[in-house]
Amino acid sequence: MLARLALHSLINRKGSVMLSLAAMTVSVFVLFGVEHIRHQTKENFSSTVSGVDLIVGARTGSLNLLLYSVFRIGSPTNNIRWETYENIASDNNVKWAIPISLGDSHRGYRVLGTTKDYFKHFSYGKKNRLALASGREFDQLFDVVLGAEVARKLSYQLGDKVALAHGIGATSFSNHDDKPFTVVGILAATGTPVDQTLHVSLQGIEAIHIDWQQGVKVSRSNLTVEQLQQANLQPKSITAFMLGLNSRMATFKVQRSINAYAQEPVVAILPGVALSELWQMIGLLENTLLLVSALIFVAACLGVSAMLLASIRERRREIQLLRIIGAPAHFLFLLIELEALLITMLSCVLGAGLLASCLMIFRDYLIGQFGLHIEVNLLTGQSLLLIGIILLASIIVAVIPSLSGFRKAKSIWA
Amino acid sequence: MAIDFANIRFSYPGRPDRPVLNIPSWCVTAAEQVFVCGPSGGGKSTLLGLLSGLLQPVEGELTVLNQRLDLMTDRQRDRFRAAHIGYVFQQFNLMPYLSAMDNILLATRFSSSKGKSALKNEIKALFSTLNIDETLWYTAASQLSVGQQQRVAIARALINKPQLLIADEPTSSLDQANRDAFMALLMSTVAENQMTLIFVSHDLSLSGYFSQVQQLSDFNQLEGAK
Repeated sequence: MLARLALHSLINRKGSVMLSLAAMTVSVFVLFGVEHIRHQTKENFSSTVSGVDLIVGARTGSLNLLLYSVFRIGSPTNNIRWETYENIASDNNVKWAIPISLGDSHRGYRVLGTTKDYFKHFSYGKKNRLALASGREFDQLFDVVLGAEVARKLSYQLGDKVALAHGIGATSFSNHDDKPFTVVGILAATGTPVDQTLHVSLQGIEAIHIDWQQGVKVSRSNLTVEQLQQANLQPKSITAFMLGLNSRMATFKVQRSINAYAQEPVVAILPGVALSELWQMIGLLENTLLLVSALIFVAACLGVSAMLLASIRERRREIQLLRIIGAPAHFLFLLIELEALLITMLSCVLGAGLLASCLMIFRDYLIGQFGLHIEVNLLTGQSLLLIGIILLASIIVAVIPSLSGFRKAKSIWA
Repeated sequence: MAIDFANIRFSYPGRPDRPVLNIPSWCVTAAEQVFVCGPSGGGKSTLLGLLSGLLQPVEGELTVLNQRLDLMTDRQRDRFRAAHIGYVFQQFNLMPYLSAMDNILLATRFSSSKGKSALKNEIKALFSTLNIDETLWYTAASQLSVGQQQRVAIARALINKPQLLIADEPTSSLDQANRDAFMALLMSTVAENQMTLIFVSHDLSLSGYFSQVQQLSDFNQLEGAK
């Protein structure tokens, strides 16, 4: 009966209740949104690379190296010599090494030059290996293996011709269109930047740059594919490389020796350490966002309380009636708390629904623009905890109008 | 004795210099129907507040249905009121957004521990005896006419079978025909259930229904307090 009374009382005052409900829904939407995306990005980021013990690149900040080598964000500062790669990769502690060469793109998606070891050793998430959805790994000079999203977004099929562009912008004025690549494989979706990458062999990268110097095409030589295949396409430099070690115990030892490598200034980073460094930075931003959304929520709670407080004045006669039929004064306290709680619960449902539909609608946009794979499913332990906190907070804030109702009920005849 | 006031003094908090009631002695025997009249602002409403236990006398012994209201805690008074006192206001006797049925159910919430279906059957029987049409049972109170509302108000006041029924100008918002019908229904119900009735009004034309007519000023001796 108490619940029924609260519900009907709210419906009876729909005008002001609807406005409070709308404010509350928006605040819950923001709070849920920030919290959900926070957890999802963290999961996303930390699942991007696994099983790689060290990443080696030209001397730069560890974050920068991590961002361009794994996340394909930003640009490499400098290349490292092929001999350096060979020297370090031949260390006894090294189990495998994957060289990577970046710098070209195709319609906004980055091109990664590498070797077949990439498909064999690179893993993401909980040590998941890359898998081909269709086709095969690259074999020929002008073969390309597409990430899942590249193929889906640009609707490429096996056998399609792809021209790479120099540089990493979405529109490039200097294309390698004289040497198109053929799609020979499409990877299964991973939910990582791999999906947004085109993979070619290191030799392929060399081949398209053979008549380029300092980033400019110097002559339009007419080397045929056959001529190129016979040319010496051993790369002279690469952007970075990833290392897997025989024993994790050796990680720091190898890192030290790489950092002390005398012939060239190189740096080795631990992906996990760099990730948590990255996370500290992003975490600061996210905590700020979370704080702001929490404040918005508190404001909405206060709005609901103000509405309820104002309603007590116009409900004098209702209170008198309740008292005369025997309702104790604390019944009014409970009634008003319950009204606040009902508004909050309904807001949670509406806010979560709104968020889920927004995520559904903007899912592709988030993947395309930020490489963020956000789950639409909001029902996690975290969100349940958040709902608990939200309900608790609204109960606490509603103490103000509830106490006022209690006092009114106490002195209804005076 | 249904009501026994002994040396009751009352003034509102903050105005101790202005006594509203000073009743050395006022008794009503059980099953009696008393018409109390007096000018507005004469303390009638305060008297009803004391009777229903929503106001506390500043001093004196206040006995209702052989229970000392002035010695009870707030909680005890709430329970006592729910179980033993029926009350009909001039208006706003029902939660406007609840149906007639739900209004009565709400009135049982604070006194009865019976199951909902048993209560519903009781309410239906009561509605029938009070000639409340079945089509109105599940209508929101705000949709009922004033006459219908006051009828449902009697049902609401009677559902807990109170020994004391208090009516505070219950006919003031009714027209002549409705007023007569209301009075007839009220008096027959009270007689049937052997209830004590305190009926407060300034409309002396209603006094014919009652065995006892009292002026509030007869037993409220404000001059003596000064």
